[in-house]
Amino acid sequence: MPRLSLIRTPVTIDFEGTQLEAEAGEPLACALIAQGELLFSRSVKYHRPRGPFCLTGGCSNCLMRVDGVPNVQTCTTLTRAGMRLERQNSFPDAAIDMFAANDLVFRKWFNHHEFLAGVPIIEKVLLRVARKLAGLGELPDKAPEEVPPAKSEELDLVIVGGGAAGLAAARRLSERNVPYTLIEREPVLGGRLISSAELGLGAVYQPVATQVRLGSTVLGLFADAGRPFLASLWQGQLHVTYFKRLLLTLGGQSTLLPFENNDLPGVFAGRALARLIRRHQVLPGERVACVGELEEARALARLVTSVGGTAVAVGEEPLRAHGLQRVTGVTTSKGRVDCDAIALCATVSPSFELARAGGARVVWDVRHKVFVVEADASGRTANPNLFVAGEQRGPMSAAAAAEAGMLAAEALATAGVAS
Amino acid sequence: MSKALLCSCEDVTTSEVEHAIEKGFRDIESVKRFTGFGTGMCQGKQCVTAMARFLESKGPLRPEQVTPFTPRTPLFPTSMATWASASFDPEQAPSGGVPPSLGLTAQAMKPDSPVRARAKVVIIGGGVMGLALAHNLALRGETEVVVLEQGYLCAGASGRNGGGVRMQWGTPTLVTLAQRSIELMKRFARDLGINIWFRQGGYLFLAKSKSIVDRLEKGAKLHNSFGVPTEILSPDDAREIVPQLSMKGVQAAAWNKLDGVIFPWPFLWGYAQACVKKGIAVETFTQVTGFELSQGRVTKVLTDRGAIACDTVVIAAGSWSPKIAAMANVHLPNEPHRHEICSSEPLKPFLGPLVSVLDSGLYFSQSMRGEIVGGMGDPREPAGMNLGSTMRFLTRYSQALTEQLPELGHLKILRQWSGPYDVTPDNSPILGRTPGVSNMLQMSGFVGHGFMMAPAVAERMAAWMTTGRSDELFERYTLSRFAEGRMEREDMIIG
Repeated sequence: MPRLSLIRTPVTIDFEGTQLEAEAGEPLACALIAQGELLFSRSVKYHRPRGPFCLTGGCSNCLMRVDGVPNVQTCTTLTRAGMRLERQNSFPDAAIDMFAANDLVFRKWFNHHEFLAGVPIIEKVLLRVARKLAGLGELPDKAPEEVPPAKSEELDLVIVGGGAAGLAAARRLSERNVPYTLIEREPVLGGRLISSAELGLGAVYQPVATQVRLGSTVLGLFADAGRPFLASLWQGQLHVTYFKRLLLTLGGQSTLLPFENNDLPGVFAGRALARLIRRHQVLPGERVACVGELEEARALARLVTSVGGTAVAVGEEPLRAHGLQRVTGVTTSKGRVDCDAIALCATVSPSFELARAGGARVVWDVRHKVFVVEADASGRTANPNLFVAGEQRGPMSAAAAAEAGMLAAEALATAGVAS
Repeated sequence: MSKALLCSCEDVTTSEVEHAIEKGFRDIESVKRFTGFGTGMCQGKQCVTAMARFLESKGPLRPEQVTPFTPRTPLFPTSMATWASASFDPEQAPSGGVPPSLGLTAQAMKPDSPVRARAKVVIIGGGVMGLALAHNLALRGETEVVVLEQGYLCAGASGRNGGGVRMQWGTPTLVTLAQRSIELMKRFARDLGINIWFRQGGYLFLAKSKSIVDRLEKGAKLHNSFGVPTEILSPDDAREIVPQLSMKGVQAAAWNKLDGVIFPWPFLWGYAQACVKKGIAVETFTQVTGFELSQGRVTKVLTDRGAIACDTVVIAAGSWSPKIAAMANVHLPNEPHRHEICSSEPLKPFLGPLVSVLDSGLYFSQSMRGEIVGGMGDPREPAGMNLGSTMRFLTRYSQALTEQLPELGHLKILRQWSGPYDVTPDNSPILGRTPGVSNMLQMSGFVGHGFMMAPAVAERMAAWMTTGRSDELFERYTLSRFAEGRMEREDMIIG
């Protein structure tokens, strides 16, 4: 079984009528992967089988209906006893989906705006069929329970992201007695420091608890009436946080590499696979192809091997994934090998969205082929009260991100609020 | 089958993007509006970089032209119940918005080649008005036409609206124009070869006050006299149409089953492609910088890609029209008003009509892809070009919509954006000749409904321009009416 350790606090969840045992508080997606389940959903147009890819809430592959609510990201929703999970958008079920015929009929692609346009009678049928096929998930069963009223607050300095850069900044700000609030989306601090293939920066800095918000998702940076604020969801309550200065250390997002069948269940982002092993003690396959960038692939291969798996095709360039409903092999530039998971090691795409909303400039990094947030050496962006550090500025090691976090903290501690 | 995905949420493959490139869509914003990539549940997080790499490697983009599409709030899909839990001050005028600038007219995207040196007609504005006019001129044999667009196709209001199409209007002119538009939309796929997914699910207007009920009843009589089958329904009968609706406070409803919704993007680029096929130049990322005037005529339209000598110039730039007209010392009274809108996660179809509460300006419908698309005008919105988004809107809209349809409290909002209503002093368009500049024609001021009126208005304008036969549309709605104090008020504006 994929689970590498015994369950400590078991809870039972219902997956389409089957009762499964899971670790309390682990992501729902991990609980299913641990049972050997990789087929999570069917895609919108071609009804291709899909499984979890990024495990950080940045793709749509793991959406399910959870407790009657459609389109829930199972990778960021944590298990509680009695949860009900159902797969969506398939007939009669996800394993044998009749509409997967679309995938066979349209071998390469089809554009629904051009397809059979203007053929009398057929166009009326087309409209009906399209309306039948549209949408993911059914209308929720009932209205939600009452949500507590949003809380409005004023803070001086907010750090978003508690990974290598954010924690290094927090440590330096604490040393300089500068108050701050650190917002982290995950239930634990650390980011790459606790979940990447290669660790090695030592203990994770733990700021004073009152300065940290764990499990808080920032939903947006707004500037209604010209005053900037963050909207975030924390402990089930919407927080409207006006700030004077902001340090963004959100890191990056695993992105797609366009090889054939790159969406097959069993294809994971390299970081997702490392996280599964490190954080959740789950290894989704015995033979894992660690393809892509050599350095990360090698580190991941060592991790896979250290927990009893076999790493293949290490650092090779993927050309095609094989398998019908899950990965059974991969063809790389060096030939075909059998495997039951593919981990894609690739440059992450910096999370630039919040910085852009805050007025920072986002430019194309020609060398790394990613969008990066433009900033000076200390991390100050076009908006003098908005700083960025770490992978939002481009690919860098955790050590380099920590260094950048410290530099930004130093600048924030020295300079005041720009008017 | 074997496919390489560039956007897994919307199933966009490398082959489909290659096809888009062949069709002339080069930049990320344009490819988004042709293929739909980046509009799914991940909100572009997984695909935008992959797409940028692909477009750069395939050659159509130089490095400085690689820019991401505008990231939309919210950053993660978030329920309406969450947004509804905030509060806002209804007395305060909304202002601000994110992002601070949009980059609609990316300078780096400007084509290297000069524009044509001569054309019979230069149309300024590559929105649905300008493109539909160009298409209709071509149908009448006039193809020496250049359409100038400052940004990408769909950058302006034509690419930012909810796609609602209705015959329920307050004046005979608009009722008949809308009837004709709907006829043309139904034929669009046959005439132009592009599916625009026009779905006649009807429009259901709800009224919560006596004065609105009176307005709906008056409207229904007018509609019926033109053969539009508008019915006035009791709240119970209205619930038969959308069983999930709460009818609290609703006194009556107006229902026309022939109204509907289309998908705005293909409608726009469908017209553009038809124009290009006929030999019309549609120049995107091209700025008008001024006019050469002589003896009360425009002799040349000046652009950042050279001058175009022309016989006639048409200003069809929506909310940007006053800025353009001012370059010829012509004052247009139009003012842009931001209207915010948002789209949700896709749900299996359950909502037939577009529902609108006239009292509050709330409207919502379900798109062909299953998203609930809707908005709500803000009576306090000040005039001015502001295309930013606010949380205030998410809160107002979520509160109003969940009051009407409580199950939608779970519905997650995926992205929000805004577009400008091109507002005139009497809510009616500005069409026809320009006092003082004899060969300048106006085609703007549609106050948020230009999108649905364009096919019919463009058809009549092309006929009027090419035959010289008089048409009351271009006599009544002239720019000179404001100086003459001759207003043409329309009061069925929503959103």
